[in-house]
Amino acid sequence: MSELYQNRRELMSYLLGLFLLIAFALWIKSIDIGSSWQGAGLVNFSLGFVLLAAYMSAQILRIAKIPMISAYIFTGIVAGPYVSGFLTFSMVGQLRLIDDLALSFIALMAGGELHLRSLRKRGFAIGLNIFMITLAVFGLVFAFVVFMGGQFSLMKYLSSAQIMALGILLGVVAVARSPSSAIAIISECRASGPFTETVLGVTIVMDVLIIIFFTLALTVTRIILTDSGIVNQQAFIILFVELATSLLIGAVIGKGISFYIDRAGYDLPLFLLLTGFGITKASLWLGHFMEDRFDIYLHLEPLLICMSAGFTVQNFSKKGSEFMENLDRGALPVYVLFFSLAGASLNLEALRVCWPLALSLVGVRAVGIFIGTWLAGTITKDPPINNRTAWMAYLTQAGVAIGLAQLAQRQLPEIGTYLSTVVLAVISVNQIVGPITFKTALHKVGEAEKR
Amino acid sequence: MKIFFGLLIIIFLAFSGYHLTFRRFRLPLFARLFYLTGTEFLFLGLLLGPQFLNILDRETNKGLEPLSALLLGWIGMLFGFQFEIAKLRRFPFEFLGAAFMEGLITFGWILFGIYGVLSAFSNMPEHIKIVLSVTLAAVGASTGQTGLALLSPNTVARSPGVIKLLTYISSIDGLIALPIFGMVFLFCPQFFKTFSWVGQLKWGLSASLGLVLLYILFLTRRRKEKELILVVIGMAVLTSGTASVLHFSPLLINFFVGFCLVNLSSEKERIFDILISVEKPAYLLLLVFLGVNWRLDSPWILLMGAGYCLCRLLGKFFGGFAITRLNPEMNHYPPQLGFGLLDMGGLSLAILLDFQQGFPGHITGNAVSVVLTAVICNNFINFCFLDRLLKKGE
Repeated sequence: MSELYQNRRELMSYLLGLFLLIAFALWIKSIDIGSSWQGAGLVNFSLGFVLLAAYMSAQILRIAKIPMISAYIFTGIVAGPYVSGFLTFSMVGQLRLIDDLALSFIALMAGGELHLRSLRKRGFAIGLNIFMITLAVFGLVFAFVVFMGGQFSLMKYLSSAQIMALGILLGVVAVARSPSSAIAIISECRASGPFTETVLGVTIVMDVLIIIFFTLALTVTRIILTDSGIVNQQAFIILFVELATSLLIGAVIGKGISFYIDRAGYDLPLFLLLTGFGITKASLWLGHFMEDRFDIYLHLEPLLICMSAGFTVQNFSKKGSEFMENLDRGALPVYVLFFSLAGASLNLEALRVCWPLALSLVGVRAVGIFIGTWLAGTITKDPPINNRTAWMAYLTQAGVAIGLAQLAQRQLPEIGTYLSTVVLAVISVNQIVGPITFKTALHKVGEAEKR
Repeated sequence: MKIFFGLLIIIFLAFSGYHLTFRRFRLPLFARLFYLTGTEFLFLGLLLGPQFLNILDRETNKGLEPLSALLLGWIGMLFGFQFEIAKLRRFPFEFLGAAFMEGLITFGWILFGIYGVLSAFSNMPEHIKIVLSVTLAAVGASTGQTGLALLSPNTVARSPGVIKLLTYISSIDGLIALPIFGMVFLFCPQFFKTFSWVGQLKWGLSASLGLVLLYILFLTRRRKEKELILVVIGMAVLTSGTASVLHFSPLLINFFVGFCLVNLSSEKERIFDILISVEKPAYLLLLVFLGVNWRLDSPWILLMGAGYCLCRLLGKFFGGFAITRLNPEMNHYPPQLGFGLLDMGGLSLAILLDFQQGFPGHITGNAVSVVLTAVICNNFINFCFLDRLLKKGE
């Protein structure tokens, strides 16, 4: 009884707070913006508003057992340019740097969450899951697009070669996952156990492999569309060099971080902030520098560098727990910010344009994931409950998939627009549904609240 | 030349990192002062800025505006937390009077000094002269505590009374400077077109009260530390943003919110712990942000920096002299008390950043460069004068 009363009181205080915050925001929005400083102030206000409103919404929705990151995303959608317009497109663009900083923090954390010992223990399961999921998801999505794509208005006027190319690219993008969402849900549910370790391992390793798959798909697609029939080996060599260099640089930075913690140790949040920022900016700078000076296209992946750094600190130093504690302390604002902005960036216009196709692809992808995880789980003799629910843990999709679609749009303009529209629509659905199903899965297999 | 300076700064910073890593390594006095006061972070900002590596270019700076808003909010709120009435009342009333008088005298001295120089040597518009003079006076009147914090236990044990008074004054003497600086925002020309003075003040106050109410609503139940961090960060950014939209000082409104919270909220201790836990990183980031816009392209800036430093030194000296000689109950303190108040701390630099953002322009850039040069001069003379004062005070 008293718990019910407590819940009701809390709910009332959050509703009141949210009401006050919204009233405040409406008032601020009504003020004429005269100078650039006021404009910057409005961006800051909006950021603060989104942080607090997302947090309060999460607390309200938590009572209905909805994961907090869904609430953050939902708040972002409502505050974003397609619904209330409180956050405009330009504001979302302006906050991109803060978003990148948050992402580098999450990537450091993602690397730190991977324990070599458990990876070794679950290595076979992780490998098998990756193989099965890739095969099933790619196969089903590709087949669906090739055989059914013509039925949807968006693809009606595409040639069969273009539909096939689109099928290949959509198939590969469908395999992509969202490590940031996975980390956030695992952290929120304080989940621990073999199921969690497998999901995390698959998600993070997949994040690396997807770039290789995508480059391969892009090459094949180009052959289909241009009939040139040449496989660009140089592209693959550069890709492997980029990935290996990113991992290596990450490992060196990870060693540097652990050395710093060991020998100095103070002002660690500032140090990690500067490290994340430095990695993001330096990767971009190096890319431009190599292109300008030596005409070499070298794209170091900041996320991969951060993950590798986090992994190194966790597994090859004695400072792993200290490192994670410091990251964890500031994790909540980072998650709220990152996922709210992700919500605000979701392209609802794309969803409106092609929702029948998007929903079909979401369904087909989910079936593919189910088949892949079920087969993998059965072979590795995981408990039946794990096999039945594992698919729910792999639905979320975010940044990497969008990035890949944008890359394809630049490189294959003839089908790129279709691809990015469909991908953005699919991601919008998966990003809303995925966290809820993942949380449910963790509770079903009994690994939630185990830390 | 640019590459040479760039290399020089990198060597400085590498040395700093070396020093941080090997704590037992004994540096010479000059280098020790350089690193202990965080001066190297000004150089880091300079290195990252458009003059050298251009990593923090204009676009990046724009993208990082929320971070600088957070910094201003953080420091403003932290300063507001110094004014817990119950704690202030534990000190003798003369201390409070001394802090106010010292702040006022220093402020007045620098204000009239700079206004006089600007009137005599420049033909800039009147309102810019006022804005510049008030800002530089506010920056100069506030005192930091780094020097006091770095004193050895032996020195502290030798002059506990003087150090207690210096600590007290340096923690609250910004109370005079900050509100007056806040009023400077009323002098912005485009503001005259859209608002009235009274109207703007009214809106600023209403917004502050609304923010305090929102804060209190957040604190109705005891939150986990992570949640409290989020609330503090969110509120600081929200408050700074509100202030900027209303064309008011983010620092001042956050100070007001901090002051209300420390006197009204039961969670004040926990919020203070969060604020204080990143005080140093916030200060260092502030130095980086300011260092980015530091221009050293004219010898006049160095000269004016030295002049400003001297003007401030005299202001502090007169302030200290007045409080120890005009009040009979403080006669036992040394008349050179002001020499112990030369440190320029986080509040001074936050006022400078607030000014830089609120009044962007070429003149602002030069003024910031002058003050930053003075900050470095000050960091070196501060220790000598403090040492001298404490030796005399024995």
